[in-house]
This record gives sequence, C-alpha cells and structure tokens, in this order.
Amino acid sequence: MDIITLAEVAGNLSVIGYGLATLGPGLGLGILFGKAMESTARQPEVSGKIQMIMFIGLALVEVLGLLGFVAALIVK
Amino acid sequence: MVTLAETDGIALFIPKTYDIVWSLIILVIVAVFFYKFFMPKFNAIFDERAAKIEGNIAKAEAAKKDADEAKRKYEAQLSTARVEASKIRDDARAEASHIIADARSRAESDAAQITANAQRSIESQQQQAMVSLKGEVGALATALAGKILGAKLESDDVQSSMIDKMIDELDTSDKK
Amino acid sequence: MSEAMGMLLAAEPDLPTIDDFLPRGILFQGTPFEINRIILIRIVATVLLLVVLGITAKRAKLIPGRWQGVVEMGIDFVRDSVVYQIMGEVRGKRYLPMISTLFFTIFVFNLCGIIPGMNMAATATVVMPLVFAVWVLIQYWITAVREKGLWGYIRDECFPKGVPWPVYILLAPIQLCELVLIRPASLTIRLFANMVSGHLLVATTLAFAQYWVIESANKLAGIPVGMLWFLFGLVLTLFEAFVAFLQAYVFAILSTVYISMSYPED
Repeated sequence: MDIITLAEVAGNLSVIGYGLATLGPGLGLGILFGKAMESTARQPEVSGKIQMIMFIGLALVEVLGLLGFVAALIVK
Repeated sequence: MVTLAETDGIALFIPKTYDIVWSLIILVIVAVFFYKFFMPKFNAIFDERAAKIEGNIAKAEAAKKDADEAKRKYEAQLSTARVEASKIRDDARAEASHIIADARSRAESDAAQITANAQRSIESQQQQAMVSLKGEVGALATALAGKILGAKLESDDVQSSMIDKMIDELDTSDKK
Repeated sequence: MSEAMGMLLAAEPDLPTIDDFLPRGILFQGTPFEINRIILIRIVATVLLLVVLGITAKRAKLIPGRWQGVVEMGIDFVRDSVVYQIMGEVRGKRYLPMISTLFFTIFVFNLCGIIPGMNMAATATVVMPLVFAVWVLIQYWITAVREKGLWGYIRDECFPKGVPWPVYILLAPIQLCELVLIRPASLTIRLFANMVSGHLLVATTLAFAQYWVIESANKLAGIPVGMLWFLFGLVLTLFEAFVAFLQAYVFAILSTVYISMSYPED
C-alpha cells in the first residue's frame, strides 16, 4: 500500500448523491404527512379528501427522490 | 462497484423497439378489453342491481300503501258495523219496550174491559136479583102479612104503600 | 482488497444488477417482436389479467360471490375514491374505463414483481409506464382542446390571470414544459424507478440471505445473519406489494387530476 491508496475510498459517488437526494423529499414527506395528520385531526369529516390530496403530494415529492435514484443510475 | 454492473444505467432509459411494440400491443388489448367488455358488463350489473333495489323499495312502498288502504277500509267497515250494531241494538231495545208497553196496555185494557164487563154483569144481575127479590119479597111479605094479619088488606093503595115502606126499611137495614 | 474478500468468502453474493432489466432476447431476436424475460412476464400477466377478469365479468351475477365482491370493490374504489372524488360524477363517467384500465393493469403488472417465478414487475421497463403516461398525456390534451380550445388551455395554464406580466417570461416556458414533458416524464419515472428499486432491494436482500445461509464458509455466523437477511427480504416483499398498490393508485389519481385540470374552473 503506497501513499496514494492509503486514502482510497471504495464505492461510488453516486450513492452519496442519492443519499443527499433523499434528504429533501424526506423532509417533504415528513411535513406532508404531519400536516395531513394535523388537518385530519382538526377536521375528521374531510379525511377522505385530505388523504387523496396527501397522496397527490406524496407522488410529487416521491418523484424528486426517484430523480436522485435515476440520476445515480444514468450519470457515471 | 457491485450493483451497477457492466452496462451503463442510461441504457435502462433508452426505449427499445421491441419494448415499444409489445407495450403498445398489450396496452391496446387491455384497453379494448376494459372499454368494450369489462366496464360495460359491470356497469350493466351495477345498474341492474340499483334498479332492482329501487324496484324492491318501490314494491315495498306499494305493498305498504296497499296494506294501509286495506287497514283503513277494514277499520271504516268495522266502525260502521259497530255503529250499525248499536243502532240495531237500540232499535231492538226500543221495539222490545214498545212491544212490552203494547202488550201491557192491551192487557190492561183487556183486564179493564173484563173487569168492567164483569162489573156490569154483576150489577145487572144484582139489579135483576134486586128486582126479582123486590117482587118476590113484596109478594112474600104481602102473603106473609096477609096470613099474619088475616086482615083484609084489600086496598091496593095501602098494600103497596106498606110494601114500599117495608122495602125501604129493608134497604136501610141492608145499607147499615 | 478483492483478493482478501475472495479468501474470506467462498464466492461473491449473486447481487442483482441493472442488467436484470435488460435481459437477453428469448424469441425472435433482432426483430421488432423480440421477446425477453420482461416481455414474457408482461404477456403472461396480460393473459392472466384478461382471463381472470374476463371470467369474472362473464360469470358476474346480480348477487356477487366472494371473488366478484373483491373485483367490484376494486371497481368501486377506482370509481368512488379516485374518479368521482376528483372530478365529480358528471365529468368523471367518461374517463371511468380509462382510469380503471390504468389502475387494474398497473396493479397487476406491479404485483408480478413479487410473484414467485416471475420476480420482475411487468412495468419494469421504461416503455410500459411511458406508454401509459403518453396515453394520459394525449387524453388530457384532447379533453383540454374539447373543453377550452387549444389556445384557451395554453392561455389558462401558461398565462394565468392576476400575475404581473414580467413573470410570464419565466412562468410560461416552465408551465408549457410541465404540460408536455414533466407530467408524463414524472408519471413514467415514478412508476419505473419504483419497480426497479423495488426489485433491486428485494433481490439484494434475498441474494445476501442465500449467500450467508448456503455459500458462506462460516456456518455458525452465516445462518443467523442469513435468516435476518431473509426476514428483511420478507418484510420488503410485503412492502413491495403495498408499493404495487400505491403506485397504481397514485398513477390513477394523478391521471385523473391531470385530466380534470383540463376542464375549465367552475
């Protein structure tokens, strides 16, 4: 082992990239579900509507995380 | 590097001709199946079911109405019957009392008539008896007196006045 | 380093790669009708879907049996809690067959990812979700042109009222991009990437399980660790079943939302 390989990092940078990419959607999902729960607790009678809107939001947030996954696959 | 193997990841996102072909074929088949067969069939079933449920509800409502009607008719009949019965009863009672009163009055009048007849016959008989008795008693008394007195009581005037006197006395003694 | 690993372990675990999603052709290689593993799974899934639902519909009775009840529950779900809730009964009736097709097909295709013997979602190539998404794209453009006219739709979406005009410079291209590109692309990527990552996850855990239990030299440590991996795989498989449903639901719900956004506000 010479001086250069001493600091070798095995693995792929894209994995770190994906890890970073999950941060935003993770926060987003937390806020999304938290707010949905809050509003359901406030107004249980519209829980069906809230749940539906929550799933639309979930889909939009999810695609961000998946973009990170896809980018990790595509970019070498 | 383990997971991402020899091939570039970008290859995943490049559509292949055969993939497009098969995807389209399958999509068309599935869509035709759903549009032409599956959804119409189930919609028909749902509609039929809804119609049936509605029909049943309507039928039940009609039956209920019929039953209500019948009940009302029956109750009306019952009440008229009850009224009629009470009327008949009243009539009968009135008639009965009428009959009784009739019979009573008839009996009373009969009785009165009979009594009157009897009274009358008694009276006439009494009168008759009295008359005949008067006559007989007169004759008897005259004979008796003639015999007793032996005297001649020839004078009719005396005779009759005496007899009358006697009878009057008899009468008064009778009335005492 | 790999030499050291090689000495320690009998063999590398047979981890899944993205080559799983680019399998070699089995039939008709080189023609546009080439069939590989995923296409074969897709065809089998389609046949299964058509046969099962076809028989169900053929034998459908007024008083549903148990299986018919399940299918009707699915139809009711798509109708009541997806289509009618978003666009109402009057507008939604027209799109019921389309959304039902999308929901049932995507659900069954996704489920193939956890059915033993298939182990690969039929939607796990980019084209199948893309075709669904393009269908949705065409549908909502047709609806928009019918309801508002082409220019009316573009004006409503790209130049919304109540916005100062300099904003349009930034807003209009983004909105146009959203209308023609981002919506179908996001539908496609969401479904496809979910299926890819789901397969990779489940296959990785099961590969580790198999490696630790069977191929590991050290049986004492290998079997418990392998069992843990297997348990993890089991949980992930159940999670994938949930994801299969969720993705079908999300796809159906977003398609309905996009179509209903083509209608004028009322």
